[in-house]
Amino acid sequence: MGRHYVGASVWTATVVWMTMWQLTQADWWQLGFPATLSTILNLTPTAHKERCMKMDFFVDKQKELCAKYDKILPIIGNGAKLAIEECQTQFAYTRWNCTTFAEKNNTFGNVATIKSREAAYLNAISAASMAYAVTRACTKGELSEWCSCDNKIRQRKPTKWKWGACSDDIRYGEKFSKEFLDVREDQNTALGLMNLHNNEAGRRAVRSRMQRTCKCHGVSGSCSMQICWRRLPTLRKVAEGLYKRYEGASHVKYVERRRKKLKVISPDFKKPNRTDLVYLEDSPDYCEKNETLNILGTRGRVCNLTSQGIDGCPLLCCGRGYQTRVKDVEEKCQCAFVWCCNVVCNTCRSRKEEHVCN
Amino acid sequence: MPGTVLENLSGRKLSVLVTVLLLSQLACFLVGLISPSPASSQPILATVCVDKNPSADSMDRWFARTCPHRIELSNVAATEQLKSNNLVFAMEMPQHMNDFSRWQQNLAGVLQFDVVYTEGGKLINTMIELTLDARLAYSDKLADGGQTPWTYYKHSKAKRYMDCHFDEHHNMKDKVGYPYSCTMVPLFELGSLYHDYYLLNLRIIYDERLNLNTHLGKVDDIYLHIIHMNGGFTKVWVSMKTVFFPLIIGVMIWFWNRVHLLARTPALLEYMLIYLGSALVFLNFPVEYFTLFFDMPYMLLLTDIRQGVFYAMLLSFWLVFTGEHMLIQESGDRNSLKKYWKHLSSIVIGCVSLLVFDLCERGIHLVNPFHSIWVTPIGTNLALTFVICAGLSVGVYFIFLCYMIWRVFKNISVKKSILPSMTQARRLHYEGIMYRFTFLMAATLVCAGITVVSFIFNQYTQGEHKWDDSMDIEWTSVIHTGVYGMWNVYICALLMLYAPSHKQWPSEPLSEEVEFSRLSSDTTATPNEISSLTSFVAKANIE
Repeated sequence: MGRHYVGASVWTATVVWMTMWQLTQADWWQLGFPATLSTILNLTPTAHKERCMKMDFFVDKQKELCAKYDKILPIIGNGAKLAIEECQTQFAYTRWNCTTFAEKNNTFGNVATIKSREAAYLNAISAASMAYAVTRACTKGELSEWCSCDNKIRQRKPTKWKWGACSDDIRYGEKFSKEFLDVREDQNTALGLMNLHNNEAGRRAVRSRMQRTCKCHGVSGSCSMQICWRRLPTLRKVAEGLYKRYEGASHVKYVERRRKKLKVISPDFKKPNRTDLVYLEDSPDYCEKNETLNILGTRGRVCNLTSQGIDGCPLLCCGRGYQTRVKDVEEKCQCAFVWCCNVVCNTCRSRKEEHVCN
Repeated sequence: MPGTVLENLSGRKLSVLVTVLLLSQLACFLVGLISPSPASSQPILATVCVDKNPSADSMDRWFARTCPHRIELSNVAATEQLKSNNLVFAMEMPQHMNDFSRWQQNLAGVLQFDVVYTEGGKLINTMIELTLDARLAYSDKLADGGQTPWTYYKHSKAKRYMDCHFDEHHNMKDKVGYPYSCTMVPLFELGSLYHDYYLLNLRIIYDERLNLNTHLGKVDDIYLHIIHMNGGFTKVWVSMKTVFFPLIIGVMIWFWNRVHLLARTPALLEYMLIYLGSALVFLNFPVEYFTLFFDMPYMLLLTDIRQGVFYAMLLSFWLVFTGEHMLIQESGDRNSLKKYWKHLSSIVIGCVSLLVFDLCERGIHLVNPFHSIWVTPIGTNLALTFVICAGLSVGVYFIFLCYMIWRVFKNISVKKSILPSMTQARRLHYEGIMYRFTFLMAATLVCAGITVVSFIFNQYTQGEHKWDDSMDIEWTSVIHTGVYGMWNVYICALLMLYAPSHKQWPSEPLSEEVEFSRLSSDTTATPNEISSLTSFVAKANIE
C-alpha cells in the first residue's frame, strides 16, 4: 500500500518535471495550449509566483511582471490561446495555415523564425490578443491591482475613483501588452524593430475598432447631458482587420544612420504607417513539405474549385493539380439555435465533391 | 420720478458692476476646469454562474463574482449540458475593490450583448425580444473592511428589444464565430446611490411555449455598463449651489426692500422678477447634501422638476419682459399676467406634458427601477406624444417671442427717428436708456444662444461619432458649470439692474417743463410703469 503510494508520487513528480522541462524549452505561446493552460489555472499566490519565476522562456522583466500580480498567468495563457485560435481561423484557407506544434520548442515551428509577413501577423495578433485578454480580465474584475485607476496597492483610500475621471477602457490592456511583449525585443536589431512595429500595429488594431456608444442622462433623459464610452470589439474582428493588413504588409529594410530604423524597401512603395504590418524577408512559398522549417506543404489540403483566390485549387495546390473525390456525407442541416447552449439540427445526407491537392 | 437702477447708474458704476459679474462668470468657467467630467461609466463583464438547482429559486439566493461554479459561454464543451435556467449572470458593482460614494448620486445600467453567429442562427429578422429576470441586491461596507451579506433590493421581469445585424464580409469563409452588431439595452436607473455595493443577477430564461427569448442567438459575453455621476463633479456643483443660494436670496431681499420703499404697488415685471428669483433659489437649494445621509430615490425626479420650474419661469419672464417693453401703453388698466394667458399657455402645455412624461418614466422608477416607457408600443406612442407636444409648444412659444421682440425693436427704431427733435440733454438721456436696454436684450440673447449652442454641442458633436474623447472631458463640465453660473449671474444682474432706483432725476432745463408735466401726469395715471423707458415711450406715443 505504502510502496504503491510512493511509486505514484514519484511518477507524478516525474510527469511534473517533464512538463516543466518541456516548458523551459518552449516559447511563451505554449501557455496557450489546453494542456499547459490547465496546469496554470487556480494556482495559489505562492505557487503562482514560483511558477512565474520558473518560466525560462520569460525574460527577467516578464518574470517580474508575472510574479507581481498573482492571477496573471492564466490571463497570459488565455491571450496566447486566443492568438493561436484567431490566427488559425484567419489562415484556415491559405497555404500556411498557422500550424502549431505542441511538442516542439517553437510553437509555430522554425518557419516563424523567418522575418516574414507571417511572423509579422503572429506578433501583431499576439499583442492584440494580449491587450484583449487583459482588458477582458479587467472588466471581469479579475485583476484589480493592475486595472484599478487607484492602482497603488498600498494606497488605502481610492481617491481618484471617488473624485472621478477614471476612464478605464483598454488602457490597462494595452499597457500590459506593451510591458509584457515589448520588453522581449531589442531596439537595436532589425528583427527587434520589426517586432516592435508589428506589436504596436496589433494593439492599434484593437483600439481603432473600439465602438463609441453614448447614453443621454440629462433632464427627463434628454441629451443635455451625455456619457459616452467605447466598447471592446470582438477579437475576431481585430484578427480579420489584421489579416487585411497582412495582405498589404510593407517590405522594409533596416537602415542604420543617425537612428536605427526600418525604411520601405523601394521608394516607389507607400511608406508604412503605424497601423501597417512590416516584414524584412520574403516568405517561402509553403508549397512543399520542409522538415527543417516545419512547413507541412499543401499536399492533401482541400481546395475550392470555384475560387480565384488563395483558397482556390490552382493557387493552393501550387499548380500541382488536384484530385476530386465524391463522398456521401451526413451533415447537420436545418439547424436551430436554442438559447442558451444548444443547436438542434437535422441530419441530411448528400453527395459531395471534394477537391484535394496533389 | 423713480426709474430703475439700470438707467440711473452712472457709466462708471455700471461698468464696475458688469466687470464684477463677468468675473464671477469667468470663475464659474474656471471652476469647471478643476472638476472632472460630470459622469463616468464602467464596463463590467458578467460572471456566468451555474445554478445547479434552479428550482430552488428564491429572492435571497444571490450569485456573486466568486460563485463556486463558473463557466465561459464561449467554451462550448462546458456549456453543453446546461439549460437556460441554469445560467445566472452576476455583475458586482462597482469593480476593482472600490465602493460607491454617496457623492456619486445615481446609477444607471446598460447591457451590451456580444452575440455571435452559430449554426442555426438567423441572419435576417434580427429584432430580438428579450425577457430578462433582473434582480438587484445591495450590501454595505463594514468598519473592519468586510461587507454585509447581499440583501434584496429590487426585482423585475423586464422586456427589452435589441436590434442586431450581421454584416457579411467578402473574405469570410465560415460565418461561425463572427459577431453580430447589436444595440445597447438600457436596463435600470437608480435615483439614489445610498449603499456601498450593488449586485445584479440576471437570468435569461428560454421558454418556447411562452415565446420567451426564442430569438436570442449565441451569446459569448454580456457586459453591463454602469453610469454614475462623478463625486468630484457633484462636489463642485454643490459648492456652486451653496455659494449662489444665499447670494441670490440676499439680492432678492434687497430688491424687494427697494420695491416696498416706493409708494406704489409692485409692478408686474417686479413680481415676475421675484418669481424668477424664487425659481432660481429653488434650483440652487443644495438638497444634494441630504443625499449623503438619507436614501432619496426621488432625487432624479426632483432634479427634473426643479430644472423644469426654472426654465418655465425663465421663458415666462422673457415673454412678459418683452411684452412690458412693447412701448404701447393702454392707459389706465393695470397689467397683469392675465394679459399674457395666450402666450403663457404654450409654456404651461409644454411643461405639463414634459412633467407627465417624466412621471411616467422616472416616477415609476421609484417603484421599479427596471421600468421603461419605451418598451411597449403604447408606451412609446404615449411618450412620443408628450415629447412632441412639448416640442410643439416650445416652437409656438419661440414664434410668439420672436414676433414680440421684432415689434419692440421696430417701435424703438420708430421712436429713434423722433429723437433729433428733442433737446440735447433729454436726447442723450434717452439714448443712454435705449443703449442699456438693448445691451440687456443682447445679454439675454447671448445667454440663450450659449445655452442652446451648448445643448446642441452636447447632443451632436459629443455624440457617437466623435472619436477623440481625451480632450472633451473637462469641456463638458466647463460647459455645465459655465452655463449654470451664467443663468445665476444673469438673474442676479436682472434683479440688481431692474430694482427701482432711489435716485431722483436731475432737474431738467425749464424748456422741458411742458413735456414733463404731461409725462408725469401719464405716470400718475399708470402707476405700474416701472421704468422711465416705458414712460418715455408712452409719452412718445402721445406725441
